[in-house]
Amino acid sequence: MTGTPHSRHANAFHAQANDALQDATLKKALRNATDLFAERRSAAIDAVPDWEALRDHARKVKDATVARLDHYIEQFADNAEKAGATVHWARDAKEACAIVTKLAEDRGAKRLVKSKSMATEEIHLNKALAERAREPVETDLGEWIIQLAGETPSHIIVPAIHMTRDAIGQLFVDKLGIPPSNEPKTLAAHARKRLRDHFAKADLGISGVNFGVAETGSILILENEGNVRMTTSMPKVHVAVMGIERVIPRFADLEVFLRLLPRSGTGQHLTTYQSILTGTDNQAKSAMGQGPEEMHIVLLDNGRSKIAVDEKMRETLACIRCGACLNACPVYQTIGGHAYGSVYPGPIGAILTPQLAGMHEAKPLPFASTLCGACKDVCPVKIDIPSLLLELRQRAVEGDGKQAPAKRGFFELLTWRMWSWFMRNPTRYRFATALARLGQRLPLLQKTMPPMAAWHSTRELPKLAKKSFRDTYRKAKKESNG
Amino acid sequence: MSDARKAILAALRQEPTTHVPPLPEVMTSAGGPTVPLDDRIRTLTEILAKLGAPVDVAADMTAVSTRIREVLAEHGATSLALSDAPLVQDAAKELPDSIEQFAHDADREQLLRSNAGLSTAQCAIAETGTLVLVAKDERHRLATLLPDLHIALVPASRLVATLGDGFAQLASDGTSPDSPTITFVTGPSRTADIELELVVGVHGPKALHVVIVMDA
Repeated sequence: MTGTPHSRHANAFHAQANDALQDATLKKALRNATDLFAERRSAAIDAVPDWEALRDHARKVKDATVARLDHYIEQFADNAEKAGATVHWARDAKEACAIVTKLAEDRGAKRLVKSKSMATEEIHLNKALAERAREPVETDLGEWIIQLAGETPSHIIVPAIHMTRDAIGQLFVDKLGIPPSNEPKTLAAHARKRLRDHFAKADLGISGVNFGVAETGSILILENEGNVRMTTSMPKVHVAVMGIERVIPRFADLEVFLRLLPRSGTGQHLTTYQSILTGTDNQAKSAMGQGPEEMHIVLLDNGRSKIAVDEKMRETLACIRCGACLNACPVYQTIGGHAYGSVYPGPIGAILTPQLAGMHEAKPLPFASTLCGACKDVCPVKIDIPSLLLELRQRAVEGDGKQAPAKRGFFELLTWRMWSWFMRNPTRYRFATALARLGQRLPLLQKTMPPMAAWHSTRELPKLAKKSFRDTYRKAKKESNG
Repeated sequence: MSDARKAILAALRQEPTTHVPPLPEVMTSAGGPTVPLDDRIRTLTEILAKLGAPVDVAADMTAVSTRIREVLAEHGATSLALSDAPLVQDAAKELPDSIEQFAHDADREQLLRSNAGLSTAQCAIAETGTLVLVAKDERHRLATLLPDLHIALVPASRLVATLGDGFAQLASDGTSPDSPTITFVTGPSRTADIELELVVGVHGPKALHVVIVMDA
């Protein structure tokens, strides 16, 4: 099992990826999971005749929304308040954490429950609350497991994808003192029982938001387990943390997004539950337990407004967090989520993290891709992730005024200069390829001469043809003329 | 206006957007060709069968009560949490005394202890096998969530064909959902968080049973 990468330092990426590559159990688990999801996804979308039209439409809605995000987010906030919710605005992670902590402290709320939310992972909310002795209990089964294990999620949809049933069984024995079992059904039953106690006593529930509807101030949350319904109905106070780009204009727009998201994420035609929450129930106090008395929505910027006004990168904000690009990505399939060392892993993480956290935090990520385009093919809102990766690579290398240029190594520069010099002239090109043909007859040289030696330790060089196309062509032409 | 709100809105307006793509018309499956009731029932039944949730059709209230009794017995349930819907109250009257009943405003501990919950649904969507629970119209938020078994009575007149038809019903004026909580329920609670193996009933009900009521 790989260690949890608490270090978010950029240089850690290669070491973490390397650790993951050595971990046979992890590789097998990832392969099984990503293959299964990919299979289910294609079966689910094959059953939808107008899939492409849905994708195109959803993208148009998102583009129109992100281009006027100021308008839609303000409309959302106003309507949510009209419906009885209290809206808070947070410029960054620190402000968001302070808002939630204060809400809990002012109400004397000590027992907190939480449903899965990437936005709260992004701002490290649990850590902030734990510092005030108010750490929430994670209630999504996968999130609870990794909380017990002291780890972080490795997948957007299946947070404990990296853990085997045996490891989880052992964890439950150690932490909960249950009799040993590695049966998912038994383990889930223990979780149900334990977490019900937490739900029954909780005085504040924290959730994320999948979609916020501007015209009504509603939020929609998708789930399968029922813990979101519990978190948003049993405690007296509900706090929802929402990235400002989660907003969509109209209530009726939800239909298209509900058709796209579950199919892309898990291959379900719909998740088991959708909770659509619009302000508070004014009878909550009289009719016992039918809903929270207070609803708070924390609108989180944390770098999003910067992306929204960046015309080249703006489409990043169209993402609906389905996780399909993770499952489709050959890099994610091989190294898993933790190696990325960022909250958002996989292709979407590779474009999102450098923009949210800054390139200095995540410089290797845009380069951790083969640009094969599998992510773009499966994305339900057709985000052109490979192009965005290229743009970020260019910014990482050249800087764009916002991000400092990378320091290029002497050898890297020398290599590219030489490459360019050989490629610009036919004679020099011929000379270089002749040299390469000669070189490949000397395997010992390849295996010992740096930097070829490092590359060669796990791979074979592709074989060059004995004769170049140029030579073959010339010879054939000569013969046919002759 | 808070400082943060001002700052975020100002940041979003910082650079004038050169190209604002138009917002497309809503794309919806609402108002499609009329689907006969029999077909709607068949679709709902097929979809929910795949998720392990049986669907029965009951001709009248007597049949409904009989079916509830049988389903409770199948699950060995001896207590039942009720919503405040008139249909639920009517059906509950016919149940034997051996079934302990809790009203919607019962103590939460009692709701947590109930083996089963009984509610109606404000709408059901055939295409997706979905029950739509509108909290404004019925106090059923916890009775449909806490017990191990959820029995839902669906008046046949409220069974619509498509997801879009469902949304259209929710927002009769075309925009507002007009209820603090609306819950879509498609099958029993489930998880695949441990090695992607399906486990039914992790936090919400372990079983869902739907009874379509023809004369309601």
